[in-house]
Amino acid sequence: MTALSPAPHKMSARGVSVFYGDKQAVKDVSIDVDMDKVTAFIGPSGCGKSTFLRTFNRMNDTIASARVTGEITLDGADIYADDMDVVQLRARVGMVFQKPNPFPKSIFENVAYGPRIHGLAASKSDLEAIVERSLKRAGLWEEVKDRLSDSGTALSGGQQQRLCIARAIAVDPEVILMDEPASALDPIATAKIEELIHELRGRYAIVIVTHNMQQAARVSQRTAFFHLGQLVEYGETDNLFTAPREERTKDYITGRYG
Amino acid sequence: MILGLGLIGWLTARARAARFDRGGRKRLHSLPAQHGWYVGMWTILPPLLFLAIWSAVSPSLVRQTVLQSPAAAGLSDFAFERDSVLAQARAIAEDPFAGDGDPLAQQLAPVVGATRTRYAWIGSAAAILLAFAGGAFAISRIRPDFRARSKVERTLMMGLLVASLIAIFTTLGIFVSLFWESTRFFEQVPITQFLFGTHWSPQVIDAKNPGASLGAVPLFWGTFFIGAVIAMLVAIPFGLMSAVYLTQYASATTRRWMKPTLEMLAGVPTVVYGYFAALTVAPAVRKLAVLLGDPFASSESALAAGLVMGVMIIPFVSSMADDSLAAVPTAMRDGSLAMGATTSETISRVLVPAALPGVVAGVLLAVSRAIGETMIVVMAASGAATITLNPLQSATTVTKQIVDLLTGEAEFDSPKTLAAFALGLTLFIITLLLNIVALRVVKKYREAYD
Amino acid sequence: MTKPASPAAHAPERQPTDWKSAAMQKRIRRRYAAERRFRMLGAGAVIVSAAFLAFLLVTMVAQGWRGFTATELALPLDLKAAQLKVTREQLNSPAADLALASGGLEEAVQNAAVTAFGPDGASFLAPSAWVWVRDAVKRDPSLLERRATINVPAATGFDQALTGDGDAAMEAGVARLTRQNAIRRGFNWTFLHESDSTDPVAVGIWGALKGSLMTMAITFLIAFPVGVLSAIYLEEYAPKNRWTDLIEVSINNLAAVPSIIFGLLGLAVFLGTWEIGGRVYGPMLPRSAPIVGGVTLALMIMPVIVIASRNAIKGVPPSIRDAALGIGASPIQVVFHHVLPLALPGILTGTIIGMARALGETAPLLLIGMRAFIVTPPGSFTDPATVLPVQIFLWSDEVSRGFVEKTSAAILVLLAVLLAMNGLAIYLRNKFETRW
Repeated sequence: MTALSPAPHKMSARGVSVFYGDKQAVKDVSIDVDMDKVTAFIGPSGCGKSTFLRTFNRMNDTIASARVTGEITLDGADIYADDMDVVQLRARVGMVFQKPNPFPKSIFENVAYGPRIHGLAASKSDLEAIVERSLKRAGLWEEVKDRLSDSGTALSGGQQQRLCIARAIAVDPEVILMDEPASALDPIATAKIEELIHELRGRYAIVIVTHNMQQAARVSQRTAFFHLGQLVEYGETDNLFTAPREERTKDYITGRYG
Repeated sequence: MILGLGLIGWLTARARAARFDRGGRKRLHSLPAQHGWYVGMWTILPPLLFLAIWSAVSPSLVRQTVLQSPAAAGLSDFAFERDSVLAQARAIAEDPFAGDGDPLAQQLAPVVGATRTRYAWIGSAAAILLAFAGGAFAISRIRPDFRARSKVERTLMMGLLVASLIAIFTTLGIFVSLFWESTRFFEQVPITQFLFGTHWSPQVIDAKNPGASLGAVPLFWGTFFIGAVIAMLVAIPFGLMSAVYLTQYASATTRRWMKPTLEMLAGVPTVVYGYFAALTVAPAVRKLAVLLGDPFASSESALAAGLVMGVMIIPFVSSMADDSLAAVPTAMRDGSLAMGATTSETISRVLVPAALPGVVAGVLLAVSRAIGETMIVVMAASGAATITLNPLQSATTVTKQIVDLLTGEAEFDSPKTLAAFALGLTLFIITLLLNIVALRVVKKYREAYD
Repeated sequence: MTKPASPAAHAPERQPTDWKSAAMQKRIRRRYAAERRFRMLGAGAVIVSAAFLAFLLVTMVAQGWRGFTATELALPLDLKAAQLKVTREQLNSPAADLALASGGLEEAVQNAAVTAFGPDGASFLAPSAWVWVRDAVKRDPSLLERRATINVPAATGFDQALTGDGDAAMEAGVARLTRQNAIRRGFNWTFLHESDSTDPVAVGIWGALKGSLMTMAITFLIAFPVGVLSAIYLEEYAPKNRWTDLIEVSINNLAAVPSIIFGLLGLAVFLGTWEIGGRVYGPMLPRSAPIVGGVTLALMIMPVIVIASRNAIKGVPPSIRDAALGIGASPIQVVFHHVLPLALPGILTGTIIGMARALGETAPLLLIGMRAFIVTPPGSFTDPATVLPVQIFLWSDEVSRGFVEKTSAAILVLLAVLLAMNGLAIYLRNKFETRW
């Protein structure tokens, strides 16, 4: 593994393994995530890329049988350390899921959820400002500004996913994890999401899991290829797709398996 | 006897069909056993049907015959007197030591006995004859190409249909019988007086104006107060929090042990709860009331009955809440946790609101269960109909009054007895509405997450 | 749509959240405290509910175990000296009970107690003590001609005095009889094989238990076939139309109709037609016959069985039906040969749970009149009978203190039967549960 950047990384994983009971789903993976960059995890389904992504904000804690070894740091602090507060961690490292999962509340309440629980808004007008700003950043404001009190579940699939992104950025995270955010959407909605990722890049460190190689090539600056729980290859996206070093990477991106 | 004949028919038919089969000229359309079922069916069903009709008809035939016999000449013309003598005669015919009875009954007894025996014989003989005839007819139809299978299956299908119709008949039966007796009640007591009257004291009924002491409002209030207020104040928080804890926090082991334990609360018979309420809880509540400065506190307080009823209802609320919470997609929970919400924030701000329709439906079913609950209030609540907001005072319920009215020694068509049916009808309609609304909410809710 | 050219640019910038600030740290601590409180609240709800169950069971056991014990007094008796007016021939006739009762046996027993235990000796004996002597004499007529010692039940008050809970006179009696070594304590077999009585020491639950079993037999014989057949029809064959919907709605609602309503139905239907119409010539049917109660309860639990059976049938994968249909089985054969056997464990589990509910049910039986005072166990399905829960209810109404422990003991028996049934249901579910 070559060192990619001399600057301190936003998040770093060193020798991370994940076990589900006796089964090892992720094997000794080391990776760095930086601000202003989109990092894509690609690989065939079941390769452990989603599982690995969930270790970045400790979502694996919710699965009783899951066990994580190795070290993951956020701004140099170990996120699995005892003094790391998981609630704050998740506020700083947001997540967007594969299937849009807006809460069965109004659009406004969906976005206001995070600021409310974390006490980020000083006043009602402040909260309204946060909601508006988040919806604007997620590119949804124009479509929903007149019906903020409608249920979030009444939106279309693509809108729902952008609502979930707005919900995630409403708490001002530093890192956004996206777990196949467009796989349940149609091509037009997918294009919108990709466009959005472009716009968000300057503000957040973004990690996106995808099984769509074109998508990875379009949106990311770095790509990591996973296979059977191992990190096979990790590098600049352009290099990885044009001149893969590993045979397995080549087989995968040329469609030999997947 | 007839079943035996049926078995014989089954065996012969199967043997006969099997012989055809071995003859080998033509393939049988149906299996030998199916021919057996066909014959068995013809042997058993007609005589059974006949016997059912016969047992309904024969009593009046017996009656006719006895009345025409010379021994009955001395019978009174008054139907009531005549029937009482006949009933005695019948009792004597069954058991010669059945007491002294009047001489006429003694005299009639042999006639009644003989007539009964005769008709019983006629019935049995006809049934056996029918069995033979049916069996013979069926056996004669056995041919290789006979479609015994489809005939048997068609009959079986009819049987299935009839079985499933019994539910409708039961519902209808409940409604008609309650409605019928209630109309008779409302002939004597105006419905408005019953529904809106505030005075209930069936012990003293003025024959001229029975409705004056049959105003059911205190009962409705007591039922609502005990079942829908006190019991729910216990059942909803405990049931909901138990479900939340067991689904969201508890380890798999705890859940495996505690869930059946809580369900045991629902399995304890209500008479046991009633006994417990009357023997242990009510005196404790009374002591509490005395401590609070009410020396005349009732030992049959609404609180005691309501508390115990609430505990009984906990598992209902808890299992409905459990189901509703389980139906909320995991993605919701993950979404909230990923925002940095704590588990309790996730539960109270996302999961419970999302599961709310299911929980509300569960509460409605629980209320319907509570207001229809009988034994706890019969044993622990008071019979005095008062309208009170004080849980330490006594209150009575619809179900308790139904039991009290019907277990006394009253004529079957006195306003007192009929009032029980009017109360029953009211209870039935209210619980029916609650159930229909709850089931509809549950159905809608399930569809929303499917 | 006008594409917002990077709308975020227009939004006012916010200071990044300082998670380390004191205010934020305090807020986090508050949230965790709330989390702990909430969790404890949940655990508390579970614990309180379970504790109530435990408290109920402990109370019942604490009061009920004495119901299974009996205190007997060894009463020396000289019936020859008492000169009863009874002959050997009378003892062998069916009228023996009557002859002994009118022959002065009760008085003789009381006199014997006074002789043996002192002037207040008769009060130590249960009012029905002489019945024990009567039965002993019937078993062994030679007792009439010799001296013998017969164990007879002690009075309730005496029994309580034994545990230090009686009045002074009884306590003195206990002390005296302990010295005489006349007190015997043991397991109360009477309670297991006798029926109702007016004397708490002479009561037993066998009559009620037998009544329960017979009532349950009727309930099962009706509700099980009808319930299962109706479930088969609705799940496998019923066309989707308004009639089927009506049946479904009826079943779902019947399952939630209060049990007391079934009592009213039973009262109106069975008594309206059977008793009044059949009073003169038809089968004479007492209101408290197991068959009447059984039919009423069958109607009540049938919806439970239908719903459980439908779920069990639904759980059988369609692939099995397709496979059977594919080799030429008729729809009826598919169900009876393939689907039903696979669904049977689920159906049986549901049935047992329904039967357990019927076994504990009191209110409808109370209404149809199964509250008679039954001193002999029912011999047939048309004999007057009572059932366990109703017996419990009747005893709970008794004023005499001796009935308290008998009521609790009867509750223990009922709970034991229910526990056994539920255990069987859980066993069946675990043993045959198949995941498709």
